[in-house]
Amino acid sequence: MGCSGSLPDRNSGRLSGINGSESSGAPDAKNLRVKLVLLGDSGVGKSCIVLRFVRGQFDPTSKVTVGASFLSQTIALQDSTTVKFEIWDTAGQERYAALAPLYYRGAAVAVIVYDITSPESFNKAQYWVKELQKHGSPDIVMALVGNKADLHENREVPTQDGIEYAEKNGMFFIETSAKTADNINQLFEEIAKRLPRPSSTS
Amino acid sequence: MDPSSSSSAQSVTFYDFLDRMRNPASLDLVRSIKSFIVSFSFYTANPENDGKRVQEFYLTMEGAIRDHPLWVGATEEEIDSALEGLEKYVMTKLFSRTFSSTPEDVKIDQEIYEKICLLQTFLRPEHLDIPVVLQNEASWLLAEKELQKMNTVKAPREKLLCIMNCCRVISNLLLNASMSENMVLAGADDFLPVLIYVMIKASSPCLNYQKKFIDLDTWKSILANPPQLHSNLKFIQLYRRQTKLVSEAAYYFTNLVSAKTFVVDLNAKSLSIEEIEFEENMQAARLANKVPQVEVSSSSNDFKALGDVRGPGPSGRIHGDGIHTSGGYNYPFMEAEADDLTVGDVERLLRVYKDVVSKYTSLCRSVRHISLTKTVPSIPGSEGKNVLLTCPTEKSTSIDEKREDDRGSEKGLPGSPGPPGTANDDLEKGLPGSPRSANDDVQKESARS
Repeated sequence: MGCSGSLPDRNSGRLSGINGSESSGAPDAKNLRVKLVLLGDSGVGKSCIVLRFVRGQFDPTSKVTVGASFLSQTIALQDSTTVKFEIWDTAGQERYAALAPLYYRGAAVAVIVYDITSPESFNKAQYWVKELQKHGSPDIVMALVGNKADLHENREVPTQDGIEYAEKNGMFFIETSAKTADNINQLFEEIAKRLPRPSSTS
Repeated sequence: MDPSSSSSAQSVTFYDFLDRMRNPASLDLVRSIKSFIVSFSFYTANPENDGKRVQEFYLTMEGAIRDHPLWVGATEEEIDSALEGLEKYVMTKLFSRTFSSTPEDVKIDQEIYEKICLLQTFLRPEHLDIPVVLQNEASWLLAEKELQKMNTVKAPREKLLCIMNCCRVISNLLLNASMSENMVLAGADDFLPVLIYVMIKASSPCLNYQKKFIDLDTWKSILANPPQLHSNLKFIQLYRRQTKLVSEAAYYFTNLVSAKTFVVDLNAKSLSIEEIEFEENMQAARLANKVPQVEVSSSSNDFKALGDVRGPGPSGRIHGDGIHTSGGYNYPFMEAEADDLTVGDVERLLRVYKDVVSKYTSLCRSVRHISLTKTVPSIPGSEGKNVLLTCPTEKSTSIDEKREDDRGSEKGLPGSPGPPGTANDDLEKGLPGSPRSANDDVQKESARS
């Protein structure tokens, strides 16, 4: 599974909020607040990716929340805008699949994760893509993520399959490793770039 | 809210709001609030409409407060706490009108409650594949208690706070386990099952009273209002200020909605359990859950009132008229201590014992007839216990012992609203008042009425 190396230390979540500006106040064109839902089979490393992302940011002014299944993190982009991701993890077990709409309702971003060593999880990812196309909000930004890229020796889902499936469905695709932190920041930066911006007049 | 209850030091912020409202300068605001509250008596209850009207009123009042001379130069925080005070005031006044206000809501609450009472007789963490390292009774009890507080507070913010505190206890448990047990953090994959389990346990007052985990007054209030999960969630959804039901609060709220939905739709396939075993357990729980038809000869009159809402608490008295054939017969010794018994009781005790054994034996035969699975106990218990409930009884005993411990430790921390040293502190700082103080208000209020 391999994200034990990327766990937050006990205090990291709370300390950085002390002098933090309350970014949840009034989102505007410069400071977006974004609900991001994580979908994918259990055990593909959804929470590891997020922990890695949240822990990898060291901007002392950003307010961070680290829960076991809800996390928030703000990133600053080069165009001097900020994006605060509010990350909603979902239970990946089959028995909870019917509950997913409660979570992805109103989400601006869906990150669908599979494990490159598990074709089954890739099938499950495709199931989520179809479900979101049917029931998600129409302008939702979707990313397909092949996680555990460090385990290339056990790879069973070729990169090309991921690329092709994502292209066909107009999604952003990336392979990550929560263990080595490969492509984790790129994933979230890329998502941030793709977010529709509210017009500055509003 | 009666002004005389303002002595509670714990809800300073709320009383600050009341004080400002008593200032002659705020007469216009007070008038708006009062006429809004009165206006509710002109219409019949309609949750969706009522919710919309209340939300619009919050916004109108926010504008009025921001422009008001009393709040000139006020910080965002001060404005916010005024609005929290407003929410609490309005919704406490409108509580009986808005909470569980339709027959449908009452029915849904009852159905969920009944299902939970059935499930709680046999559900084990393994049925939800909860890893052993997360089976931490102390944490779970804390989480249960936080959730149970939801039934003792009235303001939407305070109800939501109970959910958040419950969820933060679970979240901390997961984070701690992943650090100390060297277990990979599984996030929501683990969070939701634990929350579901905690929710089921927290909604089973039948179990709690038996072991004196809660006092009689609390017990009575729970009986007057059995855990109204659906109504609580709906109330928060409709009446919590919408700008506050976002982000982390919204996430945890959604998880509880999700847990409730899971229980409503729950069948054998939802759990790691054989279908036949599930059905047998549910059936046994249903039999045990039958309402006692006859007078309860226990020393406590309180139990008479309890009869129809009591669930099948594991050590609860078994009155199932579905089981016995003679009717008009009950088991009066379940609450008795050995010291209470007299020689004169022997005859009756023996009669009850024989009755139980013969019913048990025939029940066993029928169950065995249905299937030959391992759930059928082999030897009838000699103490006249309903053997179908033996397993849960043993299990819950250990839980309840912990409950007592937990209660003991709570004595050392009077007034502590939540688990010490957890995220609660953070939450409390951010939001005025605390469930505890609100709890006190409500209790005072109800004591007065």
